[in-house]
Amino acid sequence: MKNFKYIQPKSLSEVKKYFSDNHSVLYAGGTDVLGLVKKEVYNYENMIDLKSVPDLDKVEEVKGKGLKIGALVKISEIAESEIIKNKYTALSDAAQKVASPQIRNMATLGGNICQRPRCWYYRDDYACLRKDGDYCYAEEGENKYHAVIGGSPCFIVHPSDTAVALMALDAVFNIFDGNAEREVPISEFFVQPDEDVYLENILKPYEVLTSVFIPEQKNKVSRFIKFAERDVWDFAMASVAVKVEKNGNKITGGKIILGGVAPIPWYDEKINKGISGLTLDEKSIDEFSKLALQDAEPLSKNGYKITLARNLIKMILSEI
Amino acid sequence: MSTKFIKSKFWVEDIKEEMMAEVPISVVEPWQKDKELKYVGKPESRKDAYDKVSGTAEYTFDKSFSQIAVAKTLRSPYPNAVIKKIDVSEAIKNKNVLGILTPDNCKDNDWYSGTSKLLDKKVRYNGDEIACIVAETEQDAEEALRLIKIEYEILPHVTDLEKAKLDTAAKINDHELKPREYNRGNLEEGLKEADIIVEDKFSTSVAVHNPLEPHCSVVKWDGEKLLVFDSTQGIWAVRDTVASQLGIPASNVRVIKKYMGGGFGGKLECGKYTVMAALLSKKIGRPVKIVLDRKEMNQAVGNRPSSVQELKIGAKKDGSITAISHNAYGTAGAFPGSAGCSWPARSLYKCPNMKLVDTTYYINAGKDRPFRAPGHVQGTFAFESIIDEAAEKLGMDPIEFRVKNFTAVDPDWNGPYTSKLLREAYIAGADKIRWKENRKKAGFGGGIVKTGYGMASQIWWGGGAPPSYAILKLNWDGSAELVSGTQDIGTGTYTILAQIVAEVLEIPTRKINVVLGDTGVCPFGAMSGGSMTAPSVGPAARDAAEKMLSKLKSAAAAILELSEDKLEYSEGVFSSKDDRSKTADFSKLFGHFREGVLVTQGAREANPEGYAINTFGAQFAKVDVNTLTGKVCVKHVVAAHDIGRVLNRKTLNNQFHGGIMMGLGFALLEERVIDNYTGKLLTTNLLDYKLPTIIETPEIDVIIVSEEDNKVNNIGAKGIGEPAMIPTAGAIANAVYNAIGVRIKDLPITPDKVLNALASKNN
Repeated sequence: MKNFKYIQPKSLSEVKKYFSDNHSVLYAGGTDVLGLVKKEVYNYENMIDLKSVPDLDKVEEVKGKGLKIGALVKISEIAESEIIKNKYTALSDAAQKVASPQIRNMATLGGNICQRPRCWYYRDDYACLRKDGDYCYAEEGENKYHAVIGGSPCFIVHPSDTAVALMALDAVFNIFDGNAEREVPISEFFVQPDEDVYLENILKPYEVLTSVFIPEQKNKVSRFIKFAERDVWDFAMASVAVKVEKNGNKITGGKIILGGVAPIPWYDEKINKGISGLTLDEKSIDEFSKLALQDAEPLSKNGYKITLARNLIKMILSEI
Repeated sequence: MSTKFIKSKFWVEDIKEEMMAEVPISVVEPWQKDKELKYVGKPESRKDAYDKVSGTAEYTFDKSFSQIAVAKTLRSPYPNAVIKKIDVSEAIKNKNVLGILTPDNCKDNDWYSGTSKLLDKKVRYNGDEIACIVAETEQDAEEALRLIKIEYEILPHVTDLEKAKLDTAAKINDHELKPREYNRGNLEEGLKEADIIVEDKFSTSVAVHNPLEPHCSVVKWDGEKLLVFDSTQGIWAVRDTVASQLGIPASNVRVIKKYMGGGFGGKLECGKYTVMAALLSKKIGRPVKIVLDRKEMNQAVGNRPSSVQELKIGAKKDGSITAISHNAYGTAGAFPGSAGCSWPARSLYKCPNMKLVDTTYYINAGKDRPFRAPGHVQGTFAFESIIDEAAEKLGMDPIEFRVKNFTAVDPDWNGPYTSKLLREAYIAGADKIRWKENRKKAGFGGGIVKTGYGMASQIWWGGGAPPSYAILKLNWDGSAELVSGTQDIGTGTYTILAQIVAEVLEIPTRKINVVLGDTGVCPFGAMSGGSMTAPSVGPAARDAAEKMLSKLKSAAAAILELSEDKLEYSEGVFSSKDDRSKTADFSKLFGHFREGVLVTQGAREANPEGYAINTFGAQFAKVDVNTLTGKVCVKHVVAAHDIGRVLNRKTLNNQFHGGIMMGLGFALLEERVIDNYTGKLLTTNLLDYKLPTIIETPEIDVIIVSEEDNKVNNIGAKGIGEPAMIPTAGAIANAVYNAIGVRIKDLPITPDKVLNALASKNN
């Protein structure tokens, strides 16, 4: 690890000035960024700790509108929140499945959404595409954990569990650009490698995701399911977040987002078109699940993810 | 002369060793079955439990001295290369950089059986050592390493086992690895006699030890004498290697190891890092600490070789096995090593005809080291899988088939075992898991989550052997110190040795201090490996204690002016059988001595002639397989074993739990992954190299079917470190097959393999 300066800004407007030379990084819980500097994936001169900025760690219910969660709210707080469990269940489910209890106590919501990929080539000393190299080592290499869709030319999967749930819940992100705050719907936040291979989202280095707003989920039920090789301290091989409105055992509307299969939380067109009108019986669910990832192009070692994701859809819908 | 020398022959891991040993001529009688023991066998808490739990226990990792400097190693980024030029000029500019070693300093330091050097200009794997820098801080050393400029000639590499087999594969090491072949009877005849033949191919991944405490050494010179604190399973091996690498007398090297954060075989030999630290420390005249990080731990300090195992078994309709063929190959890295794994096939059952071939290939990867039951873990998985396949083909219950082929003598040379309670283990284990009631036909039943039951047997050595010695010092206050040059690898050696001494001298264990792991003060003791420690050192401790009791008795007789046969001993007090008022306790005895301490030395006795000494056992697993996710969840493991006498029920259970969890990790999760294109290791941390966690821990029952094995040694005990792990993966794999009706033949059994297997079964 190389030396860096540890900086504690007192306000958000102070943050941008540390980025004039582009060698700074934002620090929230630190569970990801410290790993990145320790392994020298990046060498930063300044680490800007957002914990010294007041009021980024508040959960606020906006009556009749929804819930605003500060970017620095700990994952463990989200996992334990009764409001989130009752009204925004998918997020609660996802928060409970993040990493391990120790990491959840440190990690923040903002950090979880903005964490860098876990690809083992990217995290080690390979000059891969995402690190300005000219080759994706996973494409023909060890790609069991990599993307089956939306990958080209870089086959990372997005590592966040909470992002998958938040996408199903139509969250809106508040972003501070140094001068003012703007709202960005989550569907416009993430960036695919074919748009920009160096970034996972639209944030400029100095921009701060300050809070996440989740609109009220009236008459809607949401759930999240994650599957990993280990039940704790592991990233998703595949995950599914679902939000539906029901009339009896018929779904009248909703959204399904897949995690662990693509470089961004994945909105699958076919399955989302088909969800409205789905009858919740075994046969229909079985047929419906096959709509997912029909356009997937698996690599040599990750074809199982298609089956897995479809099966997780079956599991989550049969429990909703 | 109360001792004599013998040529002691014994199995260490899977290698037959011969060593001269000094053994007692008059052998201490083992405790008889009906003798009630007060200390031995009891679930006593570890002597060091408080120190460890409270954090006051000082591990090698924690050791420090004033003026200590820190060393870090530069490792090859390439899997196969020759170093053309090394330029260290930039690296040593920083005043905080104190010293550097490069291949130029190590021309006389042979390593890996002379096929390489401590630091070599030829690097054979990603992680091979190139240079070592000592600096004021770890960070200074790391920064300096980055400034070393190296010109490499990059050579073609091979990291894929199947490619390594080809004649066209790049040559990695000049030392030739010869296949190991074993024949018994006539394989072809045996297959002809068979009514059924089953044939299959299995494979296992390279697994890495990954103990919690990293490999580390702290070294300090005092004039010509070198003090080495090392996280090691073998202080004598470290002493001798360091001494010969530095060209100094062994007596000038003192190696100390007190607490151990795990080793599992990876710390049985001296590491390069220890020698480099000693050389650098000498150079700079300051103490040096060197600690490997997790990446280095996964690259450079050993692993369990991979295996591909082609097995064929012939059997008659009545179930008797007529032939076994086992053709196995694997890789042990870039240096001479062994991937052999055919011992279970050779020794578990009666079989008159067999041919077993073990072949090892080089690849450009870190060298193997013994890993908790070398060869047996992977061998047992494959062999016990095909045994189940044969049983199924014959329509026999797996246990019935195994019992049918039970052998009462070692099938290798037809000698008797000191004990073999394998059938008793089958009965006890099957009873506990309710085998007959619970186990259904393979793939039976519907539902998303399918339950299955499986079992596997275990054979291992583990009887211990001489040489091992112990010195006992008894103080005037009735406290004692037992000193032996073995190590407590973390399994409770300090505690069981105190229990043994306590049993003989009838003094509480809290008054017995056990000193281990110090070549400067201890007589030689067994290395902590091969399940050797307890059955080698324990009897030496008992011998020393019995000698002390004799000595005291003789003193008491003289002081009380009685003959020894008129004396009784109980809890520190001698008394006359005829006159209870005539007594002598420790303080009275010592009041008459000029010395405040009495000393005896005990030795491990010779093993019995004409016997095979082995441990046996069977493990039973209940698993749930989720057919939608492919996840295998182990619900319950029953371990039933014949391991002689239990010395401490609590540490025994601990060791079984650890072994079973390690077996579970090998069966379901752990896999070293190398990128074949670049030849570099990908699993460099504990996220990517997946060890099981507490959440994967099943319900575990440990049943010991033996009471004691008094033919083996004077404490009647055998080792359990390795037996605890050997059958776990086989039992789990057989249970997975029983659950889903399709066999996963490649470990680890990960969800992707289960899903793919289920898909091909349904098509």
